[in-house]
Amino acid sequence: MTMQDPWKPFRETLKEPLEKARAWKNRTGGKVVGHLVPDVPEEIIHAAGALPVALEGTGVQVTRAQAHIPGYTCNNAMAALELGLRGDLEVLDAMVIPYLCDTTRNLFHIWDLCFPDMNNEFLRLPKRIGFPGAEAYLRSEFTRFMEAMGNLTGSKVGESKLIESLKLYNASRTRLRDAYARHGRQPSVWSAERVQMLIGASLRAPREDHLGWMEDLPWDNNASESLESRVPLYVRGKVWDPPEILGLLDSLGFQVVKDEIATGFRGIAHDAPLGIDPINALVQRHLAAATYPGYHIKPSELVERFVDRVRESNARSVLFLNPKFCEAAAFDVPDFQEGLKKAGIPSLVLETSARGAPVEQIRVRLEAFREMIAGDLP
Amino acid sequence: MMQPIESLKSLKQINFDYYSSAHMAHQQGKFIAYVNAFTPVELAYAMNMIPIYPENHAAIIGARRQTVEVAQAAENMGYSMDLCAYARCDIGSIKTGVSPTWGLPKPDLIVISNCQCGTLAKWFEVISRIYDAPMVLIDIPHSGHGERDAAAEKYVRAQLEDLVGVMESITGRPLDRDALRETITLSKEASDLWTRILETGAATPSPITVFDQFIAMAPIVSQRGTQVAVDFYNKLLTELEQRVAQGKGAIENERFRLFWDNLPIWPELRRLSMFLESRGISLVTSLYTWAWANLAVGLEDPLGDWTTQYLYKANMHIRRRIDDYVELAMKYNLDGFLYHSNRSCKFVSQDIPEVRRAVTERTGIPGLIIEADHNDPRLYSPETLENHIDGFLDLLSTQKKAG
Repeated sequence: MTMQDPWKPFRETLKEPLEKARAWKNRTGGKVVGHLVPDVPEEIIHAAGALPVALEGTGVQVTRAQAHIPGYTCNNAMAALELGLRGDLEVLDAMVIPYLCDTTRNLFHIWDLCFPDMNNEFLRLPKRIGFPGAEAYLRSEFTRFMEAMGNLTGSKVGESKLIESLKLYNASRTRLRDAYARHGRQPSVWSAERVQMLIGASLRAPREDHLGWMEDLPWDNNASESLESRVPLYVRGKVWDPPEILGLLDSLGFQVVKDEIATGFRGIAHDAPLGIDPINALVQRHLAAATYPGYHIKPSELVERFVDRVRESNARSVLFLNPKFCEAAAFDVPDFQEGLKKAGIPSLVLETSARGAPVEQIRVRLEAFREMIAGDLP
Repeated sequence: MMQPIESLKSLKQINFDYYSSAHMAHQQGKFIAYVNAFTPVELAYAMNMIPIYPENHAAIIGARRQTVEVAQAAENMGYSMDLCAYARCDIGSIKTGVSPTWGLPKPDLIVISNCQCGTLAKWFEVISRIYDAPMVLIDIPHSGHGERDAAAEKYVRAQLEDLVGVMESITGRPLDRDALRETITLSKEASDLWTRILETGAATPSPITVFDQFIAMAPIVSQRGTQVAVDFYNKLLTELEQRVAQGKGAIENERFRLFWDNLPIWPELRRLSMFLESRGISLVTSLYTWAWANLAVGLEDPLGDWTTQYLYKANMHIRRRIDDYVELAMKYNLDGFLYHSNRSCKFVSQDIPEVRRAVTERTGIPGLIIEADHNDPRLYSPETLENHIDGFLDLLSTQKKAG
């Protein structure tokens, strides 16, 4: 008898997420809800009995979308539109676009005109984090979203259903954090590429199945590896774009000690607290996450808190994966870099997208960065 | 040949006085508030604060063709060339000291509402860090389909109340309700006059072009709530009404009446206006200049009025934008639309392909999309723009001949 490759279900989910969703739909008769990242509360979609499936633009070549949105738009928006226009999203019963920035707002308008027959939801996320009214507004918005999802599936989302979903997603995140921690001890087995694949798959597969697959991973092997030659790296960005970046980081000897990628650690860092109203719990989880570029806190604190998070992670270097044409991210970076410089932490900015720098060029820049940092290591 | 509008000549002095007084603000016991289009400037004036628009400052840099020098300084600081050129110009101007208005005075407060765009919020965050100045974001949620949102109304109103408190704390005095009533009354007067000025463009020939409107809009943006704006627009309106009565157009031989979408291309204002004039094109209206029309709030509940204005008027939904364009097409008897797909303003530009398609479908009026930038001449070629417009004119001529 041969042992099945425990990483296979994750890999297959990421390879064909929409085909897998279709299979789930055919099997269960449930609704499939596509969404952009970050900060769409999947627990609410799950509690309504639907399957949340995250969409991202990495690796999608854009052609049709250019007739609907200008080329100076970030790839995440253009590629989502491209997927829809080429018919790949027919499996979706609904689409949720979170209001993160001007582009997501415009994308929603365009989406609504291009796909009028889809149930399109615009999730109105408040930007003024820390203002008491923002918390109240988010509570109201999540409640509205919960009703919308209940209407979509015909299954009213009650408190107990939502609490069950919270428990499931918390358990899943806990297990994913365990995997992330393993990368810190055994990067040859739990490589950054593999760990991020686990997180990426969790955003597409039925969460119950995903949690089951997680148990088959090689948890029993506890041997710690020497990390001496690894360069501890902190990454900030939206998605792992280009997808090859993780393999590059592994092969070049970087160790991703923490990241703020929406499809990475940022999404699993915090659980929804139990024992309080479940909508409030989701609000608390949302507010605890690292400030996404489109959100606002006191400007000086934005930089200070970021540098503090990097310091706390013990990273010795920072990589910014800035999506090309993402204004929200690009405005923050010079001051972040200045703050890091004062703290003695080197950083590198890569502007990425399917229409950005080729992978080989990224490799060269990462290699040079690695060499520069390695010279400083004790 | 262009027929210059006499009233516009007084703008030089008005702008000079405005920036001079801003530079003298602290000596005169006043405060400086950086603001953007959809912030309650009447409140600022009533609180003894002079509202300053970094966007206007950047636009002047663009019109004076100083963009490259200052924007490059910002780019050298790490700000990507893909970012709004207004922002790069202002940040670079602070860095280099190059400015057509002797710089901008240091802000005591920065206020920004993101229904204009999220870019401004991020750009103002940078300025807040540079000057270590407090910043208040008025966050305006956007309801996806344009529906009313009671929770959002509560949220926005709470932020406006918070803003009053912040202003009181900075100025050290409570809001003077009488002063607010006065600035609101003056603002309404100026806004009504501005609306009537824009409406004169419906006459054939149009007594004013959009280029004139771009130049004339400075007081409605930065000085609504003052007598200066009211006096200027009264004078301008009178002159335009005389022109309409005399049948005098802004250009001598008006052959085509077009709509201009989006911000101007400031570095090419003169070149483009002369080019269009030579082709007999009058740009008679634009959504950009209409943004400052009908902005008045009532005296009874200004915070409530600003709330609904920001949520439902400024916070535009694509379907309403299309409806507005269709309405303007009829009202202004338009022959065509020129859509400026503006790399620096993704907020207004990303919708354009869908807007153009829908407007042409509904009206039968063609539209041309030209890709350029409102402030950075490195991002477009004026020759290419002119070639595209010439091609579009051929189409319009053929259509006109066909009746």
